[in-house]
Amino acid sequence: MEFRDYYQTLGVEKTATADEIKKAYRKLARKYHPDVSKEPDAEGRMKDLNEANAVLSDVEKRAAYDQLGKRYRAGQEFQPPPDWDAGFEFSGGGFSGADMGDSSDFFASLFGRAGRAGKAGGFRMQGEDHHAKVLIDLADTYRGAAREISLRAPWVDEQGHVAMREHTLKVQIPAGVKEGQHIRLAGQGGPGVGGAAAGDLYLEIHFRPDPRYRVDGRNVYETVPVTPWEAALGAAIETPTPSGAVTVQVPAGSQTGRKLRLKGRGIPGTPPGDLYLVLEVVLPPADTDAARQVYETMARELAFDPRRKMGA
Amino acid sequence: MTRDDILSGDVLDEITLSLDELARACAIEPQWIVERIEAGVLCGSLEGEPSCWTFVSADLARVRQLVAIERDFDANPELAALVVDLIDEVRALRAQLKAAGLQA
Repeated sequence: MEFRDYYQTLGVEKTATADEIKKAYRKLARKYHPDVSKEPDAEGRMKDLNEANAVLSDVEKRAAYDQLGKRYRAGQEFQPPPDWDAGFEFSGGGFSGADMGDSSDFFASLFGRAGRAGKAGGFRMQGEDHHAKVLIDLADTYRGAAREISLRAPWVDEQGHVAMREHTLKVQIPAGVKEGQHIRLAGQGGPGVGGAAAGDLYLEIHFRPDPRYRVDGRNVYETVPVTPWEAALGAAIETPTPSGAVTVQVPAGSQTGRKLRLKGRGIPGTPPGDLYLVLEVVLPPADTDAARQVYETMARELAFDPRRKMGA
Repeated sequence: MTRDDILSGDVLDEITLSLDELARACAIEPQWIVERIEAGVLCGSLEGEPSCWTFVSADLARVRQLVAIERDFDANPELAALVVDLIDEVRALRAQLKAAGLQA
């Protein structure tokens, strides 16, 4: 594991005052807040900032880190020396347990609360609840699906050392789950202390972006390209949908933007959502003599002026 | 249970969270939530005593956002709620842009 220079992360001097650290953190937190930031990897940067701030804004943690930091540079190979924290007592504030899953190996090895609490005798505490975002395909919520997810979580070894460990869970994604909804996995969060129960793991569901579909609650919108003659004359067309291919009747006289509602073919539920097929008329290119002739015939034969109502 | 087992969870909204469960999920004290509800920046299904209150998936997401904004910026509860409301509004507008074929 590499040594992390938290001062570098926040862009402050090692002599920075608590106020300077707070200011630097807030400035960067605003820049990299994942909800509004346009910076690449804003989420990753925000996690680094939170971690650096959790250490440097806490007097005890900062003091212990400073003592350790005298011997290391950023990126240098690092193992916490035994009893590196002797003489320091951490209040545990500043970095919420729910975010521990996001922290680095470096942070977990130094400040992992589970390991610290584990040293205390006769103490029982339920494990922390953890959170993770999970990307699924839209089709997964139609049929339900077993999905493997990889998570990083703090882990305490037999000697009481804490490290981040990656582990894989196979999770049943139930049919009908919506964007942003949570699934709670009981007992899959942080380990309990002193024989107490483990915490829970909350999975926040998001759909993998798919240019074919747009989701609004349980309703799903799908753009379906059609030919001018299918739109004008009507036709039975086959189109893929999240629940499999369907054949639908395009009514004669359709235009781009017309919505065909397939009731109950949205995301399953009680009641299920609807699937809207949004027609998009696509013109064939006039790149052969035959195609050009067809367009020229239409131009000649059809008294059609789409701009007539514009007063042209 | 081995790690190879397929885990089934509870979908929030099919089940609801109690005040204590919501607080634990967000690593805060229940009183923190009660105060935000009294300040009008949070609402769940709030009939009767706090021990009877129930919360849904959207409440969990909102509380986590509020906690993060208050913590990251030392914001007061009303300001944090305003920020979260604006973030929600931006998301909704971006979804409308996408629906109109104009990528946000």
